Amino acid sequence: MTTPTTRAGADPRARRAVRPAPPARPTRRGRRHPALIALAFLAPALIALLVLRLAPAAVALWDSLFRTSLLGGTQFVALGNYFELFGNPDFQNALLVTLVFTILINPLQVATAFLLAVLYTRKAAGSKIWRSLVILPIAVPPAVSAVIWSVIYRPDGLANAFLDLLGLPAQPFLTSPQQALASIMVLLSWIGVGYWMMFLIAGINDIPRSYYEAASLDGASAWRQLWTITFPLVRRPLAFVLVADTVSNLLVFAPVQILTKGGPEGSTNLLMYDIFTRAYTLGDLNTAQAEVVILVLITLVIVALQFRLLRSED
Amino acid sequence: MTASLATSQAPAGRRRSTRRRLGPVGTSVLGAVIGLAFLIPLWWTVVNSLRPGDETFRYLNPLEWRTFFTLTPTLDNYFALLDTDLGRAILNSLFISLVTVVVGLVICATAAYGLSAFKFRGQGLVFSVIILSFLIPFDAIAIPLADMFRDWNLQNTFFGLILPGLGNGMAIFLLRTFFLAIPEELVEAARLDGLGPWGVFRRIYLPLSVPALIGAGLMLFLFQWQAYVWPLLMGTDRDHVVGPVALSNLQGQFAVDYGVLFAASVILILIPLAIIIGFQRYFIQSVSTTGLK
Repeated sequence: MTTPTTRAGADPRARRAVRPAPPARPTRRGRRHPALIALAFLAPALIALLVLRLAPAAVALWDSLFRTSLLGGTQFVALGNYFELFGNPDFQNALLVTLVFTILINPLQVATAFLLAVLYTRKAAGSKIWRSLVILPIAVPPAVSAVIWSVIYRPDGLANAFLDLLGLPAQPFLTSPQQALASIMVLLSWIGVGYWMMFLIAGINDIPRSYYEAASLDGASAWRQLWTITFPLVRRPLAFVLVADTVSNLLVFAPVQILTKGGPEGSTNLLMYDIFTRAYTLGDLNTAQAEVVILVLITLVIVALQFRLLRSED
Repeated sequence: MTASLATSQAPAGRRRSTRRRLGPVGTSVLGAVIGLAFLIPLWWTVVNSLRPGDETFRYLNPLEWRTFFTLTPTLDNYFALLDTDLGRAILNSLFISLVTVVVGLVICATAAYGLSAFKFRGQGLVFSVIILSFLIPFDAIAIPLADMFRDWNLQNTFFGLILPGLGNGMAIFLLRTFFLAIPEELVEAARLDGLGPWGVFRRIYLPLSVPALIGAGLMLFLFQWQAYVWPLLMGTDRDHVVGPVALSNLQGQFAVDYGVLFAASVILILIPLAIIIGFQRYFIQSVSTTGLK
């Protein structure tokens, strides 16, 4: 009882002390060279970002226009490396695999995250506990997830033990060209879905309860409420999640490098891994730089698209 | 119009809803089954880390209760870990992540302060550099950057491993959003009391922004802890190898002690998990700020 009164008493007094001053003094002090002071505060971060983020992109762009021959000479080839890349069957395959992967995994992960967010925001026993079990794997680093699933996917591993329990035949998983990419999607979704679900749960919790109550009074079914209330009102977080998920899935590397090395038969040769092998296994750094530029451009286009979509909605 | 439509459809809707709607019990059961499915790989990892490596595949054909439980848990795998390169690698990861959090927070918080507390020409340009820097994903430019670091002789140094984690555009963005909400009057009062720009930053901005600082610190930590591409390119010798890379090296070997492999996995998961759970509130806050603003 006493605290509110003392607070209420203290607050206006403080304000009275502050108010009269501003017009007279701040022009004199600390504002003479705001740009210099601000830049001094900004300098370490700006240098770090310019040197460690933007410069490498510029270097990649520059290097991608040259070709280093075995004799040691460096020669300007303009877009030669890009033409060579697009004519290269391995790169064409990597693009195709990445495209298929992108088209499949992103809608699947976002839809799963959305449906789980809806499920776990319903009033039901233990909902918070079960939800946290889905979120738990987001702490698993992708490389660790890959190592754990490498054991699960072994012919005598946990996955086949479950199939056996269901009376299904054992599957080859990572050694089959048809199943390897899907197997990688599963282990990525295990660590990804819970993360994206968190954004959507936050979005759903922002929707006023009264909308649902009104809809229930009008007799709208839960299914209908989901599509006419929940879905349109979480469009913004959904758009964000879809784009952020797409970008992060374009950069998938650890599971491919650890589990399949791009195989079998190139079926999991995603763009990031293709860049890595081109640069270090094949030692063709200039062409790898061209591929880096292509990857960065794809990412920027996707993000620009998001800004477009979100702006037109406002 | 819409109201009358809705009422006229009501009976049909209600009938459908009784058929389709999951009751609270159904919702609970479905939620529990999915939650447990997500838990299984993690649970199995933990159980396997508590029994000898040669028992990993013993209870899988067929599945039985012992697949997921052990009556004789032992910490031997964890002790064995201490003698391997993996133990050293996990310490390396910890060192790199902690230095990144401390130094990175200073760099990102001062930058956010420079962006939010002052008005100057070129501010828009600086801000767009920061935005652009986090739109270009780090992993995508890791290979050209590694090439630059090789020229600068930063390979196999902790400096080279830590450096790229320090400037984090996303963390700066998060802190800036928070700093912008600090009341002008408070800053003016501090100025009148004779605080310079640095004093205002230290005495006013930092103490008022603890939640955002924790959120940004988590971002910096997880960036380094989950890193794989960069340490693979940089820290290649055994003194500088990080946890995830050492673990994947172990996995690729011919004879693997699965017990030790799972014990290392558990530690690599448990450390970030404990930190995320400890700072859950701030984590969710930072996630929603960066996602929705």
